[in-house]
Amino acid sequence: MGNLLKSEWYKLTHDRSFWVLIFILIGFAFAYPLMLQSAVGVSGNDFYRGYVLSINTDIVRLFPAILAGFFISSEYSMGTMKSIASSGNSRIRLYFAKLMVFSIGCAIIMLILPIFMQGASVIFHGGSTMPDWSFYLKTIGLIALYAIAFASIMAFFATILTDSGKAIAFLILFIALANSLLEYIGAKISFLEPIISHSIFMTQPSILMIDQIVQWSGEDVLTYIGVPIITFIIFGILGSLLYRKKEIK
Amino acid sequence: MNEYILKTNQLSKKYQDKMALNKVDLSIKKGSIYGFIGQNGAGKSTLIRLITGLAFPTDGSFELFGETNEREINEARKRIGTIIEGPALYPNMTAVQNLEAHRLLKGIPGKECVGKTLALVGLQNTGKKKAKNFSLGMKQRLGLAIALLGDPEFLILDEPINGLDPMGVVEIRELLKKLNQEYGITILISSHILSELHLLATHYGIIHHGELLEQLTAQELNEKGQHYLHIKVDNSDKCASVIESKLATNNFEVMPDGVIKLYEFVDVPGEVSQALTKEGLVIEQFMPMGEDLETYFTKRIGGVQHG
Repeated sequence: MGNLLKSEWYKLTHDRSFWVLIFILIGFAFAYPLMLQSAVGVSGNDFYRGYVLSINTDIVRLFPAILAGFFISSEYSMGTMKSIASSGNSRIRLYFAKLMVFSIGCAIIMLILPIFMQGASVIFHGGSTMPDWSFYLKTIGLIALYAIAFASIMAFFATILTDSGKAIAFLILFIALANSLLEYIGAKISFLEPIISHSIFMTQPSILMIDQIVQWSGEDVLTYIGVPIITFIIFGILGSLLYRKKEIK
Repeated sequence: MNEYILKTNQLSKKYQDKMALNKVDLSIKKGSIYGFIGQNGAGKSTLIRLITGLAFPTDGSFELFGETNEREINEARKRIGTIIEGPALYPNMTAVQNLEAHRLLKGIPGKECVGKTLALVGLQNTGKKKAKNFSLGMKQRLGLAIALLGDPEFLILDEPINGLDPMGVVEIRELLKKLNQEYGITILISSHILSELHLLATHYGIIHHGELLEQLTAQELNEKGQHYLHIKVDNSDKCASVIESKLATNNFEVMPDGVIKLYEFVDVPGEVSQALTKEGLVIEQFMPMGEDLETYFTKRIGGVQHG
């Protein structure tokens, strides 16, 4: 497994789309706070929530779809998946090595704004824009956790689609519209409503308000920590079973 | 010790209604160069895909390095190097980076094998040039280098000389011969360039419409090589009718380029040339020939056209 992880990590660090996404986000992270005039007077948690986390939750969460297309699906279209699958390694291990490294890539992308943009904001607008450490660290942890959960879902669909263009288009639309779609389904099929309302799609926006939970209940822990982990495991298993039975063209 | 690297037993693969591979019994001896011949869609790639684990058989089984259990067969695949339907490259990586990614995948210790393998295929000086900017021939060589990483005992090469210039074809042929003779690597090679395969293979398998028609050694092919008269005249239609009427035989073929292959009168060519010139035909080429792999293959799968 170690050699598979090293191989995938090597490919991720040589993946142009990964670096393009990182540079775009870092560039934005430094440029946007410079242009912010309306932020004057907004401080602490509200600044972080309103100017950093909201952009991350609404827009940046779509970016891993691009990485999924180039890092996973393109292996099929380039033909490199043939040499991976015929390498004599177990398909389950191959899939999980890919998923784990892809998840790390997604977490890196999702953490750029909270780290660099918040850092740039402190430099440009002063320490008053810095949120409470407790709130900040909780969001960093949850963003990484949700990133790997979404990565697991994206890897599953990228394995089905096997074409980078199709995978990127589908995943962007899916991630963008999933909330509305799930809300609609939840309203129509009542017994699914509790599952849907606790899904990572519905709870991810609540990370912005996580500072308002003073005392974490068991349900909060399950919702914000348990569900992303369970999602990662379930889609990881589904994806690996799919890949195990998949004929590579 | 097992004499065979690969043995298939009634191996079949069905895609929806199409039988891509039908009860194939193929065997590849250790140390041989097995030329796998067939038209597009004959089932060559399907068989290769089954052996390499990219697809799964509908029926039948196979033995790889003597292993029959699915898990052990997969483990045995670590001893194989492959090029399947073209070289598998990362276009934005250099040759070294491509090999490094595959070295890590195969778990080969030490980076020195990367430079050594690149030198073996003549790609040691490609520097920072990305694989996407390589010529087709260079891509084929890089694909071969990837297949050779980790000193495989069995090479499976699907069309490895496609796109190579004449010098490149010779170099790859010599390299494959060297790998086979000096290192004892068994090679399964499929190619459309039958003349090239003829210079390389020690064994042949002919596949057609998913069925293995025949397996034979190079020696058997030479023995079976039927002799004929190669005739090229200014008017092939007239020549055909002259042969039929004056020589009273229809045991000949008119090839697409107008060449006529006459399978009789090989011992008395003067009789033929006399009959043709007497009818006013201008003879451009006239010589006795042995049957090459291409001719044998064409006849084996049902011929081309008959005059």
